[in-house]
Amino acid sequence: MDKMLLGRYINGDSLIHRMDPRGKLFLSFYFIVIVFLCNNWETYVLMTAMVMLFVKLSDISLGFFIKGVRPLIWLILFTVLLQIFFSSGGHVYWHWGPFTVTDSGMTNGVFVFCRFVLIIFMSTLLTLTTTPIEISDGLELLLKPLTKIKVPVYEIALMLSIALRFVPTLMDETTKIMNAQRARGVNFGEGNLIKQIKSVIPLLIPLFVSSFNRAEDLATAMEARGYHGGEGRTKYRKQEWKRNDTIAVILFVVLTIALVVLRK
Amino acid sequence: MSIHIEKLNYVYQSGTPFSHRALTDVSLDIADGSYTAIIGHTGSGKSTLLQHLNGLLKPTAGTLTVAGNKITPETKNKELNELRRHVGFIFQFPEAQLFEETVLKDIAFAPKNFGKSDEEAEDLAAKMAELVGLPASVLQNSPFELSGGQMRRVAIAGVLAMEPQILVLDEPTAGLDPKGRLEMMEMFERLHQQQNLTIILVTHQMNDVANYADHVLVMEEGRLIADSTPQEVFSDPKWLKGHHLGLPQTTAFAAKLADKGVPFKNLPLTEEQLAAQLAELLAGKGDEQHG
Ligand SMILES: Nc1ncnc2c1ncn2[C@@H]1O[C@H](COP(=O)(O)OP(=O)(O)O)[C@@H](O)[C@H]1O
Ligand SMILES: [Mg+2]
Repeated sequence: MDKMLLGRYINGDSLIHRMDPRGKLFLSFYFIVIVFLCNNWETYVLMTAMVMLFVKLSDISLGFFIKGVRPLIWLILFTVLLQIFFSSGGHVYWHWGPFTVTDSGMTNGVFVFCRFVLIIFMSTLLTLTTTPIEISDGLELLLKPLTKIKVPVYEIALMLSIALRFVPTLMDETTKIMNAQRARGVNFGEGNLIKQIKSVIPLLIPLFVSSFNRAEDLATAMEARGYHGGEGRTKYRKQEWKRNDTIAVILFVVLTIALVVLRK
Repeated sequence: MSIHIEKLNYVYQSGTPFSHRALTDVSLDIADGSYTAIIGHTGSGKSTLLQHLNGLLKPTAGTLTVAGNKITPETKNKELNELRRHVGFIFQFPEAQLFEETVLKDIAFAPKNFGKSDEEAEDLAAKMAELVGLPASVLQNSPFELSGGQMRRVAIAGVLAMEPQILVLDEPTAGLDPKGRLEMMEMFERLHQQQNLTIILVTHQMNDVANYADHVLVMEEGRLIADSTPQEVFSDPKWLKGHHLGLPQTTAFAAKLADKGVPFKNLPLTEEQLAAQLAELLAGKGDEQHG
């Protein structure tokens, strides 16, 4: 459980770390959208080069990004295999029952793989260089216009930041309670299915109980300090739009134009 | 049921960019029926060391032998169950482990897991509830309706019900009021005396070390820096201060008197020892005056 990397912030002071979280958030989403413009080698090479540039600029070793792909590797391989065996068109290399392997199927497989990896690298970049609190603050600011149509943006942002804040706490708690129950003779992940399901109960109930208690304490503490959401609430952490954010946006505009020109 | 540890090393998240060395070359022995206190700063590796004693962590390097079970880095998880039956482990804030519908069932949980029948386990549970001072009237209540102190008693009874030969306590009195703390420490002392239980206690309370332990281990930054008796460790206030550790209240008081010229033979650890030495000194003085 300690090995989970996706979503773990790594302290640093690179160009990417110093970007405005709003800029990073928006551009990360935007990147995911324009990945779908890619449909040939030129466009994928261009996007890969961009991502590599960002990874370089972030001063974080490539290993962290590759580890981010690992948890999803089976999903990716499954999708790639679907592409390879069930695409039609182009030269047929192999044929058996419903399965056909064609050259366009192979190319599609490679493209799908690249698409996954690019998206994962980009979202890992966001979470590695932005603290959870910055992400939820940034999201709140980006979504602020939606309050006009009665979307509870402040509440959503608060829920998100509380959830993100308590992920590590909950993981610690899980390890502790698992240890305590192991010491009382529970074997997690052993025995038949019924046994395994039963062994989850002594873990889940204490986790629920402590989460509810914690939620109650948190609510009391927030009320005691006069918390009220939304309107008129000022922020301790200001987010500032800086020059490198503008440069990044321009870079993305150029990138989009290049993609539109290069794609088939 | 003695414990023998040789060159134990442990690294958290070994092989990742976050790897962190928590124990370095720890070697020690703990005798049968002894009462060992482990002291040291927060983060010095006390809890990490304890978790090796019942196989919750396996050494990165080195070996330990607990109650005849040898644990090496290659030991399989399956082999650890036998060990856990002998080692009761009371964690910091153990009330977090409660989950059953009733107090009785929660206490009976561990013995059932280790192969007792439902009936045997519940008999044991009732006995243990009495031992830790829970009134019989709460046995059929939900553990979540109890007060914090009572919940902790339930959790402790739940570990004692395994009838372990070695009891490992990780700051068992943290967060209790002084009266609750004293009652709990007296209870562990009774178990130690009556059932010859081997006790290993991690604590920040030097008074408890002085009052109960006969063996002290001092940890610092993952290393064992002292392995001796309370008498010896507390006789050197300078050394303790250098390692940011305190003295028991009584010893601190006696050390102050000694500074003012009271000639103690050796620094007393407990109130009784202090009283005895003072009485002796005063009697001596009285004789001089009369004579
Ligand atoms: N699950 C863990 N992952 C990584 N490091 C840990 C973990 N648990 C403890 N540590 C680190 O190991 C060191 C020893 O911790 P611990 O044994 O809990 O100390 P103590 O009980 O003496 O306060 C500390 O520096 C702590 O930060
Ligand atoms: Mg500890």
